[in-house]
Amino acid sequence: MRKPIKRRASSCRLTSFSGQLATGGKQSLTRQVLAAMGLSVVLASISAPVALAQEAQEPATSAAVISPKASSALLLDVDRAGDRLVAVGSRGHILYSDDKGESWQQAPVPTRQLLTAVDFVNDTHGWAVGHDSLILHTSDAGESWTIQYRDPELEHEVDPDGPGLLEKPLMDVWFRDTRTGFAAGAYGLFLRTDDGGQNWDDLTYEIDNEDGFHYNAIAEIPETGLFMVGELGMMFRSPDFGDTWETIEDLPYDGSLFGVSGTGEPNVVLAWGLRGNMFRSEDFGDTWEEVALMTPHNGPLQATLSGGDYSEDGKIVVVGTGGFVVTSDDQGRNFTVVSRPDRAALASATVLDNGNLLLLGQRGAVKGDSTGMPQNGSAADSIPAAGTPAVQ
Amino acid sequence: MSKHHQETAPFIERLIFNNRLVVLLFFLVVTLLLGYQAAQVKPDTSFEKMIPLEHPYIINMIEHQDEMANLGNSIRIAVAIEDGDIFSTEYMETLKRINDEVFFLPGVDRSSMRSLWTPNVRWTEVTEYGFDGGPVANRPAYLTEEDLEELRTNILKSGEIGRLVANNFKSTIIEVPLQETYPNPEDQGEQIRLDYGDFSRQLEEKIRSEFQNENPNISVHIVGFAKKVGDLIEGILKVLLFFGAALAITFVLLLMFTRCIKSSLTALICSVIAVVWQLGLLRTMGFGLDPYSILVPFLVFAIGISHGVQIINGMAIEYATADDAPTAARRAFRSLYIPGIVALLSDGVGFLTLLLIQIEVIRELGIAASVGVAVIILTNLILLPVLMSYIGISKRAIQRNRDMASRPQKLWLTVAKFAHPTVAPISVVLAILGFGFGIYHGQKVEIGDLDPGAPELRADSRYNLDNDFIIRNYSTSSDVLVVMVSTPPEMCSTYETMDAIDQLEWRMVNLPGVQSAVSMVSVAKQVIMGNNEGSLKWQTLSRNQDNLNNAISRAPSGMFNSACSLVPVMLFLNDHKADTLERVTAEVEAFAEEYNTDQLEFKLAAGNAGIEAATNEVIEKSQTKMLITVYVVVILMCLITFRSIRAVLCIIIPLALTSVLANALMAFLGIGVKVATLPVIALGVGIGVDYGIYIYSRLETYLRQGLPLQEAYYETLKTTGKAVTFTGFTLAIGVATWIFSAIKFQADMGILLTFMFLWNMFGALWLLPALARFLIRPDKLRGK
Repeated sequence: MRKPIKRRASSCRLTSFSGQLATGGKQSLTRQVLAAMGLSVVLASISAPVALAQEAQEPATSAAVISPKASSALLLDVDRAGDRLVAVGSRGHILYSDDKGESWQQAPVPTRQLLTAVDFVNDTHGWAVGHDSLILHTSDAGESWTIQYRDPELEHEVDPDGPGLLEKPLMDVWFRDTRTGFAAGAYGLFLRTDDGGQNWDDLTYEIDNEDGFHYNAIAEIPETGLFMVGELGMMFRSPDFGDTWETIEDLPYDGSLFGVSGTGEPNVVLAWGLRGNMFRSEDFGDTWEEVALMTPHNGPLQATLSGGDYSEDGKIVVVGTGGFVVTSDDQGRNFTVVSRPDRAALASATVLDNGNLLLLGQRGAVKGDSTGMPQNGSAADSIPAAGTPAVQ
Repeated sequence: MSKHHQETAPFIERLIFNNRLVVLLFFLVVTLLLGYQAAQVKPDTSFEKMIPLEHPYIINMIEHQDEMANLGNSIRIAVAIEDGDIFSTEYMETLKRINDEVFFLPGVDRSSMRSLWTPNVRWTEVTEYGFDGGPVANRPAYLTEEDLEELRTNILKSGEIGRLVANNFKSTIIEVPLQETYPNPEDQGEQIRLDYGDFSRQLEEKIRSEFQNENPNISVHIVGFAKKVGDLIEGILKVLLFFGAALAITFVLLLMFTRCIKSSLTALICSVIAVVWQLGLLRTMGFGLDPYSILVPFLVFAIGISHGVQIINGMAIEYATADDAPTAARRAFRSLYIPGIVALLSDGVGFLTLLLIQIEVIRELGIAASVGVAVIILTNLILLPVLMSYIGISKRAIQRNRDMASRPQKLWLTVAKFAHPTVAPISVVLAILGFGFGIYHGQKVEIGDLDPGAPELRADSRYNLDNDFIIRNYSTSSDVLVVMVSTPPEMCSTYETMDAIDQLEWRMVNLPGVQSAVSMVSVAKQVIMGNNEGSLKWQTLSRNQDNLNNAISRAPSGMFNSACSLVPVMLFLNDHKADTLERVTAEVEAFAEEYNTDQLEFKLAAGNAGIEAATNEVIEKSQTKMLITVYVVVILMCLITFRSIRAVLCIIIPLALTSVLANALMAFLGIGVKVATLPVIALGVGIGVDYGIYIYSRLETYLRQGLPLQEAYYETLKTTGKAVTFTGFTLAIGVATWIFSAIKFQADMGILLTFMFLWNMFGALWLLPALARFLIRPDKLRGK
């Protein structure tokens, strides 16, 4: 067992950890038993009070502010609902674009929390997740959203003398079909639904991750299974697309991994994270090979890589802090690294139909050419806004 | 003195002219006493006086001033390299030497100074093992390419691009926080107050000139409150030079007018005595000379001259019938002391309306100017005729005056046509059009300062060029409005407080005119992200109190107070125009309405834009009040003197036309209604009324003698027209020199006053007779 990096208040973590064992753990076990017995009616009656309480907790003022600046504020993830692009990010912003990212409309969303990921299972049905363990659902291709789940601990009064609430954001979401889906997040939080999100089961303790390390990303490897990466280089795989999970023991790296993706080929996995580290496996994670990423002028890439995507025709894009964009045109064998002049941190990206890139990050949704550099006339080169906060 | 005189002369005239030596002695003694006082008047730069201390925003600001001390008072020195970039041995070496030089300037808060060469400027990076970091500059010198490459990498990782390092890598900033008071290096127990003038001079000499001269490839740009104040003090002193210029020009004009050196000199000396008295009295009352009241001596001098000219002109006319200088002086005094006193009193009372405005500097301007005109009554209506009764007017000048009086004067014959029955209606129609034009365009006048940068200084001043350089090359704005968020002690970092601040920030950023919002909350989000390995998915507030406490502990100093009960939220604005400020303050007030509880309060306002917002509000409220008061006062004065509403209309309507047109002029020139231009309205009306009073009182005299209007007006012009024209030009010259002041608002005042003085004169000569044609019935006046 590795020593956890000293960056969380360890006391608070331990306390809430045991608290979780006492309450959350038990509840999920009960639910599972009940579910196994097919008593869905009973199950519904248990979750109903929770759902009611959640609605009471969400006053009208906490709906996301509709703002023309939403598309230039922090955005973290994007997915396709048919031809439509749907992006999520800070302050409950969910935006959709029907013209390949040229213009964005903001959807009304009943939260102002930071949303971290979005996944569409078809043209209309999609889910977004975020902080407070929020899960939001749309059935109209992203135009309207409802809250399906929220951290149940938020309904409890916080003990003023205690260590406070341990906030558990969800980091990624993936749906197999319109009924079954999975959401994973911080401190080992792992949720599953089999009824399109009406009920979510907490399967945190079903996965071998007893120290509760963060899950940062889930990806579907075509014709192979699901792959999930997290804190301290942790890796998990599921050949049955989410039903059972295996923790990979022989890890290529002990720093955090923030993203994972397929390349379009079966069994091929690409995982990346801190300090420009990227790894490639051609056997669904049994063996790994480090991918050397070289910056144009400055030696090996040192910036953290956050999110990425691949296109049907084998083009891969991965982005990171410092405005770095990493692209491959040969299914992840060779990569080009560029650094965008504005150096604004990037969170995720997707390949547009014409081969150009849509990049999401600190400055919202911006477009790049096929390598990720700003296109002519783009405002991305401009000076950052005044008073960008300094951290000492 | 002959008996004849004493019988018809009023008491006041007898009192003065029968005791001429006593009068002179009195003036001599008082002048010596006040002269001694005046010599000790010092430039005074208390900037508290320039802000409306009674406005709630300012009350809030002063209440929390100490807790936010570190936020405002710092200067930024940008050291730029013209050829090449900052990654050179030459640049880093120069920067180091400048850094060291600044470090030892008195008043610098050395521990908080930041530049590439200070150890507190660090880079950080998230690694597998947690945070890694170090000072950006970690070498004694940068001699090799490898060293410079490492410096580049460190800067990229420091997040200082746009803050300490220019976006184009051609300059970097030295941030220099200042201490208002600092311990005396010789005697640690003693505290010294920072002398802004001296500090600014040291920056110029030891930093800017020194290093720019040494290496022409280096340029130094300095901004900050202390530098601005220093430049203003410099500007004040330069304005004093203009006084000399005004004096010289006026003397030449006087000579041309009187053709008599001794009377010109006497009038000049009397006016200078008025200035000495005014300054001496000011000092006795405990006031100093600030950038506004420094203009009062100019006004006093000019008003003094204009009244002096009336006296000398009157004497020259009286010489036609008088045998000697004393008689001529007495007659001139007799005919002029009533209109003179009325005119001066209306000036003075007009100035006193400035006391209605709750901004100390305007009040003091009002007091200083009122004192000044009160003094002129003594020096130029009493001392001058008494002196002239000894000195007399040169024979040549008298002869010239007689020649002129006997000859028909073409110019005045033409001007007198304004009273003609067919010309007058045209004039009235033109005046109505003028009113329409002025009112229409005057509506576009804005409240407050409109120019970017430091509006006190000129757009092309060194300071504003430097400011512009920094705005262009760094991610910064010079217009900051600070919202103060107050909570009970230790409550500033609760989730509820921080979330509310976060909501405020986003709401404000969405408002047009707001560029960005920064507070410890925006910093905390970055720190929380940093604590989570720099993952963007964590860039939000944590609901965990420990996490929040940890996050704010990494915020720069000044972002919350030591009791954790106050959080300043800085809103960076596009500009400080009034509608921007109004929009921002209204939105903050609406937000406060919604979010304020007994545990949490959002208060306006600090920062330069906050002060400006408060000032604008006060000025907007005072503007109408002051305008009405000054007109009521002037109307009452005229009414008391002439006891005729028709007479009042003849005098006031040209005055009002000037006010309206001056408003339009402000709109055209982009001059806003502000601390500097608001007094101009009172000054312009108060002084402008003089012309009307002088002209009308003469005109009335001639009408009473039974002359028809046009003829009466011609006679009026022959006797007083020249003096009135001269007065207009003297006043205009006195204030026109301000147009060249380095201080922008003085220049604005100069432009507006010059316009008002000239146009008031023109209005009195042109419109007054036209209105008289319609309003005054000579047959009713006759024989009165």
